[in-house]
Amino acid sequence: MALVLDPTLTAAADTGDSGPDVQTLACQRVGFRVDILWRSWDWVSDEWGLLARRDGAEVRFWRARGRTGDEGEAVLKELDDFVAGVDIAVVGLANCGSCTSWTIHDALRAASTGIPTVAVCTDHFKDLAGTLARRGGRSALRRHVLPYPLDTLQEAEVRDIARAHYRPFLRTLGL
Amino acid sequence: MTSPARIIDRSCGPSGCEVDWLTSERHQADDDVVPFTRWATERGWGDGLPLVPPTEGRVRAFLARCGRFPDEVVAELPPLRGECTVEKIAINAVMAGADPAAMPLIIAAIEAMARPEFNLAALNATTGSVVPAVIVNGPVRDELGIPYEVSCAGGAGGGAPSIGRAIRLVMRNLAGQEAGVTSQSVFGTPGRVAGIVFGEWEEVSPWAPLAERRGVPGNAVTVYGAMGTTNICDVIADNGRSLLEFVGKGLAYHGANGALPSSAFCEVFVGFNPVWAKMIAASYPLVEDVQEVLWEAASLPVASFPAGYEAGLVLSRRHGDRVHIAQSPRDVIVTVCGGMGNLHALSMPSWGDTKSVTAGIR
Repeated sequence: MALVLDPTLTAAADTGDSGPDVQTLACQRVGFRVDILWRSWDWVSDEWGLLARRDGAEVRFWRARGRTGDEGEAVLKELDDFVAGVDIAVVGLANCGSCTSWTIHDALRAASTGIPTVAVCTDHFKDLAGTLARRGGRSALRRHVLPYPLDTLQEAEVRDIARAHYRPFLRTLGL
Repeated sequence: MTSPARIIDRSCGPSGCEVDWLTSERHQADDDVVPFTRWATERGWGDGLPLVPPTEGRVRAFLARCGRFPDEVVAELPPLRGECTVEKIAINAVMAGADPAAMPLIIAAIEAMARPEFNLAALNATTGSVVPAVIVNGPVRDELGIPYEVSCAGGAGGGAPSIGRAIRLVMRNLAGQEAGVTSQSVFGTPGRVAGIVFGEWEEVSPWAPLAERRGVPGNAVTVYGAMGTTNICDVIADNGRSLLEFVGKGLAYHGANGALPSSAFCEVFVGFNPVWAKMIAASYPLVEDVQEVLWEAASLPVASFPAGYEAGLVLSRRHGDRVHIAQSPRDVIVTVCGGMGNLHALSMPSWGDTKSVTAGIR
């Protein structure tokens, strides 16, 4: 027998803080972070934006892009500006490995400013989203789960799903 | 960068200090490789291949060769983002069976992969089959037995597989890349076991070494987000122009990440065998001209995509009626390596939104 050294690291401390609940949408600036990947998320966020406006919110959209080099730095700055300009952040879509990584990254960045934040993922990637949130130090990050597969559906089907998920989505935000 | 909590007199230097620098948790385990591998694999430390037990003595031998303090933090690797110290890297390098002399190269590669533009957070989580390839320049190639001639990209043996494996164990045990948990790679790739590590055959290249062209002369690594290796074969071309055009067309294919809307940026990698490199250089003495011709040829007609795809094509790489695989000519990475049998070029398609990084080995 011998003494061997452990090759692993342990996860960072976890705050377990989901952030503040949303009390009302009226007069709130709701920001949707969309991406360059998922047309289904464009349709879902469009539907939710319409419904949020109906509920009295001011709705804003920001589209994330490439993450490397100068564009990556510019995107991070845009993200910070976007987060600074909203009261509620809705970040998606976690619908693949890398886009889940960046969805959770951007959601954690928004949540760290203290605003109500929800990361939106599809069912297949919900576990990855949870794992990355925990390893990012905030296992209680709010996550709303949409069906999977989503992006292969027709637009009308996706919009139906979006409308059906609007109330559960608001409940995820604490409303 | 060092852990702020540790205030220790370091005047004796990394190799002279007698204090117990090693802070990792100790476990009682069998020192024989077979039972140790079984035990370590059950703990999730392994990749399915035999593991060398990382005893204190073995780990210290590695640390002695890198000239760095064990608690120096090399990087915070995603998704775990814990402190990846020299000590932890050494432990994983021991388990991989690497040469202690390879520690500076392994550390340089990890530092390069941790740079923001490499986008490791995405690479370690993606559904794609990507692995960071490591291309080595400088005298260190021969010192560590890193192949750059025949079968350099796999099968030549030497020091490359254990170095690649050490880096892969770092990704597993320190970055926390775990298949089906943090990594969603649908198929994975053999390169995720022992990496893709090879050198450039600088001595026969008609152009300056890759790392030198990227501002880092001498011993250096270039890390590149490779979707495995592919092969481009030609038996017709008898001049550099025809050959480059043919190889360039071979780099572009439907389904390459470079043609996806998810790839906001994209490079492409080509390794030319020495025979072809000489023929190409007769027509194009400047490597920048080689990159230009390859970039132009490595493109697809927009009309060749099925109906419904046009709107999804990356606009930044669409020029007229063609979509280019790489962002610009400078993003076509050209090297010289491989055997004298010619007939083939080595191609490594890129994962996409990741920028290769070159770092010196110190």
